[in-house]
Amino acid sequence: MDLDRAFTGIIAITRYSIRKLLFSRKAVITTLVAVFVAAVMGYAGTQDVEPLDEGVNLLDTLILLFFMPVMAMIYGSSLIRDEIDDKSITHVATAPLDRAYSYAGYYVPLVIAVAISMIIITTAGFVAFFAQKGIDSDSLSIYLAFTSLVIIGSVVYSALFLSMGVLFKKPVFFGLFYAFIWEAFIGSLPGVIQKASIRHYLRSIGFEWVDYGSISHYGQATGFFDSVLVIIVLTITFLILGAYLFREKELA
Amino acid sequence: MTGRASESDTVIETVALSKWYGEVIGVNNFNLRIRPGITGIVGPNGSGKSTLFKLALGLIRPNAGDITVLGEKPWRNAPLHSSIGFCPDYESLPTEATGREYLRLIGGLHGMKDDTLSKRTIEVSDLVGMRRALDRKTGGYSRGMKQRMKIAGALIHDPDLLILDEPLSGTDPLVRKELIDLIKSLNKDHGHSVVVSSHVLFEIERMTHDVVLIYKGRAVATGDIYEIRDLIDKHPHNIIVEGEGIESLAKILLGEGYTVSVAYGDDRNSITVQVLRPDDFFNRLPELIQQSGCAVRTMYSLDDNLEAIFRYLVGR
Repeated sequence: MDLDRAFTGIIAITRYSIRKLLFSRKAVITTLVAVFVAAVMGYAGTQDVEPLDEGVNLLDTLILLFFMPVMAMIYGSSLIRDEIDDKSITHVATAPLDRAYSYAGYYVPLVIAVAISMIIITTAGFVAFFAQKGIDSDSLSIYLAFTSLVIIGSVVYSALFLSMGVLFKKPVFFGLFYAFIWEAFIGSLPGVIQKASIRHYLRSIGFEWVDYGSISHYGQATGFFDSVLVIIVLTITFLILGAYLFREKELA
Repeated sequence: MTGRASESDTVIETVALSKWYGEVIGVNNFNLRIRPGITGIVGPNGSGKSTLFKLALGLIRPNAGDITVLGEKPWRNAPLHSSIGFCPDYESLPTEATGREYLRLIGGLHGMKDDTLSKRTIEVSDLVGMRRALDRKTGGYSRGMKQRMKIAGALIHDPDLLILDEPLSGTDPLVRKELIDLIKSLNKDHGHSVVVSSHVLFEIERMTHDVVLIYKGRAVATGDIYEIRDLIDKHPHNIIVEGEGIESLAKILLGEGYTVSVAYGDDRNSITVQVLRPDDFFNRLPELIQQSGCAVRTMYSLDDNLEAIFRYLVGR
């Protein structure tokens, strides 16, 4: 395969998909979520609370535990599935580009779109809360830690939900199950079972980076490097699985 | 025959090809050889035309048998797509994109970039008569414009073989004529081999004499359209004649050499005439009506639809 040609093809899908992701109705969802998070954290900011601990707890709960998997599911599970259902995938499937490369052309813009969406939501919440309590170097380091965590989360969750879109005909049902039941329920159970959720490893990384709030006392935390390694392995596994399924898929 | 694929004598070949979806048969033990030039694939809706194209494009894989396109098997053969252009029968243009953006997307997917892509975008939009609409959003295009833009997308990488699935579907007569002229020109002047499908035999007849008739997933007739028409004419046609005093016409018709049978309708004001050589029947009819003194109100053939023709050909 001519790599230059493959790269040009991947860029073409990336450009098209990123436009579709960032300037579609999903952008409205991002805006609404950002407004919601800003309203909740803005209200909390008006209360008499310890700013750094409470701010971290809110970012932990709202951003990392809830909206991170939900937004990745909203963007990721429908990206390829919608194109299969409305048959617009034909353009990609009839191009002289191995479908494994095409899959990368969907994954890259998905990560970018989810990361941008989550950074906007995180920033909205952070500003709404800390602008009232005072933004200093401590709060900025919290902000940087959480933006880094949502970027890492975007990489792994996008790989998971994109592969779901190829694997299932109704990926949203499975995505909802994963985001709300598995991540939220299994991830919050005591004991080793919570290690079966992605959020556990994101929080374990956050445990090393953040000195305030409940995340800094995360007793079940896996070691930093082990957590990074698990996230890398999960991402690669989901990508290989999704690309394989996409390559083998009949597009009737 | 004109065409760059003419160095090879076959563009698509299937041998005992079968594809089924659960209990539904798409194509069944399908044998076919398509040569360079323009070939029409004709069949009623659901006959297997689109399944054949999907197999040719490697979008689905056969359950049994073989298919080769330009000498290669299409399933999991992405490089083959650089030699094939496909215009689907469904709405596939991104409605929020302009024609230029659409062509740049397709060109990019085919590895084209920069000046080469810009130049080719202009060339193909000129070829299909869409240059002036290039910067309009495709969502605002008329049906004919959409079809032209889809054909432009299929042409952007200058393929040897064009597969056009129902390109005339839903277009008005004027647009249909323009598209037929365009398709003929793509073969004659630009050397593309074209495989084009339709469920209207007459439309295909205006583009080519090489046709494949598909019915219920099988190729029931292949070759020159006139030979197929002869084949069809060997089978009795059913014509219904309605009017007053029709019994006298029925008696005269029974004496004609081309009449196979005459059956009365329930009200005896109509007859179903089964004839060989329908042209002879229609030529003689005015004289026979005058001779019988009947008043014919309406007359129509039960066999004008493609489905009936296919039933003849498969002997059902």
